[in-house]
Amino acid sequence: MTDDDPLNPTGIDAGADTVNDHDRTRYLRTEEIPETAPEADLDWQTRLNETIPTSKRALTYLVAIAVAVLWIVPFIGLFMASFRPLSEIIGGWWHVEGMTFTLENYYQAWDYSTAPMGRALRNTFIVTIPAVLIVMLLGVMAAYPFARFEFPLKTTLFFLILLVMAAPPELVAMGNYNALHEFGLFDTYMGLILIHIGWGLGWVVLFLRNYLLGIPEELEEAARIDGASRYQIFRTIILPLSTPALVSVAVIQFTWVWNAFFFPLVFMRSPELYLAPQVLPLMTGRVQVEWGMIAAGSIMTMAVPVILFLLLERYYKRGMVAAVAD
Amino acid sequence: MSLRDHFDAVTADTDRADGLAVDRDKAIAIAVFLIPGLTLFTIFSVAPIVYSAIGSFYSWDTFTMEHFVGFDNWIRSLTDPLIVNWSNMREFQYPMGALTHNLLWVVLHVPASTFLGLALALLFADLKGRRILRSMVFAGFTVPPIVIGLVLMFVYDPQAGIFNEFLRVIGQGHLVRNWTQSPQVAIYALIAGGIWVHTGFSMLLYSSALSAIDPSLIESAKVDGANAWRRFWDIIWPLVKPVTAVVVIMGIIWVMRMFDIVYAAGGAAGGPNHAYSVLGIEVYRAAFRPQIDYGMAMVVALLQLFIVAPLALYIARMR
Repeated sequence: MTDDDPLNPTGIDAGADTVNDHDRTRYLRTEEIPETAPEADLDWQTRLNETIPTSKRALTYLVAIAVAVLWIVPFIGLFMASFRPLSEIIGGWWHVEGMTFTLENYYQAWDYSTAPMGRALRNTFIVTIPAVLIVMLLGVMAAYPFARFEFPLKTTLFFLILLVMAAPPELVAMGNYNALHEFGLFDTYMGLILIHIGWGLGWVVLFLRNYLLGIPEELEEAARIDGASRYQIFRTIILPLSTPALVSVAVIQFTWVWNAFFFPLVFMRSPELYLAPQVLPLMTGRVQVEWGMIAAGSIMTMAVPVILFLLLERYYKRGMVAAVAD
Repeated sequence: MSLRDHFDAVTADTDRADGLAVDRDKAIAIAVFLIPGLTLFTIFSVAPIVYSAIGSFYSWDTFTMEHFVGFDNWIRSLTDPLIVNWSNMREFQYPMGALTHNLLWVVLHVPASTFLGLALALLFADLKGRRILRSMVFAGFTVPPIVIGLVLMFVYDPQAGIFNEFLRVIGQGHLVRNWTQSPQVAIYALIAGGIWVHTGFSMLLYSSALSAIDPSLIESAKVDGANAWRRFWDIIWPLVKPVTAVVVIMGIIWVMRMFDIVYAAGGAAGGPNHAYSVLGIEVYRAAFRPQIDYGMAMVVALLQLFIVAPLALYIARMR
């Protein structure tokens, strides 16, 4: 039951169940307990028939599994290609007989001459981790007044946030390019981190504000009566209570910053500073596309967000749905 | 006289003096919470947009603003064949211009991924293991889009690509080609890839709407003898309809921002002879590739915003 609805895991079903449970678990008095164990209401034949899905249902399962597998075939291909020599990839990765297993592609991508993947992945971590942590902190701080207080220009700020969320990243590239040159931060980690923070704050503030609106105000009032300051309330009540939303923010923001291609392309120009997504398109050579190396590099780049997604899937999905649908 | 009244009497005259102090405390607290975030947001998001809006009316010497030229940049950009190529559109020959390509994405990609998303959400709705099935379809949305672009090149490769192998197996070997590099069909190949990635997101939104439906409603409709078709139109559709607006608008926003996939497949030119270039690619080329034309880059980026902004505000108003 709990595996289903990402927003509201305990549905109407759960409510009905508790009522039934209550009735069922009413204790019997000693004299009410029968001498023999109860017999099954249904013989095994009927039960078996009920457990095995009907042919229509089996067909649904078959179609569903086929569709899901079909959906990841391109990724299976990429994965297979990353472990095989180029000659076998050209012949088709789907021929599995006589398959040669090699890590050569990974070594090659890791030491790729223009911009080694090892260094590129390290750069991506250097940019992504601060960009995520700072956005979380500043985001929840800014979201708190938006959820609780009235202040001048609130509506205007709200409108600006929505406008920025709709804007394509290309729109801020020109202004930021000149600004970073002005600040002397062009082609540095710090410059790219700041741009990611400024760009991500809009949706983070809006998302966290919606979440904070759902936290009952009575808790804070009680703390205020006990003499807690607004900062203490923020630290001891708001921050702990918004942890689930902050995890969602962290996962989604991490994926976005890690996957971002346009910002690094514009703002990171020295090959030593290239991020992983930036290196991948460079690997498509002119004469023969090095599929093995590209596949290995792609697998290494996508592994981080995909593993994060699989680990924190619930937070990711809940955040995605809440970010756009609430 | 109760204790309560005592308190009221004592606090009544101090209230007014305290009120101001409380207000000041509160104002300071609001400022402390807001200012760090808002400063970065203003410098790196709002200011560059304002800068582009102003800059689109000025002439540029590479990266330096020069003087006011009115609508010059706008007229020059909107009549540029790279943005809208009227003569090729009349003959239905690619390239038809980045704006046209973007709108073609909207027209083909958005309905298809919305429909497929709903279909998959319904298919997986009450199966055991639906979480795994959904994650398999959704996983592509968490992969860097640049990798998606490279995967598409791989899938459509004439020798190594499984799509061409599929054509050979079903006896359509004459259709085999390098799909992402053939100007007249490449855009459709990429749109198919976009649908493949984006359906997972639409499915996720529909799934959460479907799981909010009370199962007893559907059960009672079944008892009343409503068939699957009637159950869908009378119960499910009215309840998931509001989500459809969000799915469609998010789809349009995603498509209008298209950059990485096209760049991976076609480089900064957007395919051979710009065959499937999109607005994002044109902004990048105008701003950061030689013949730098900042004015045009700003106009095209604003054009992207104008198409999407009313839709985003519409979502905000729905809340």
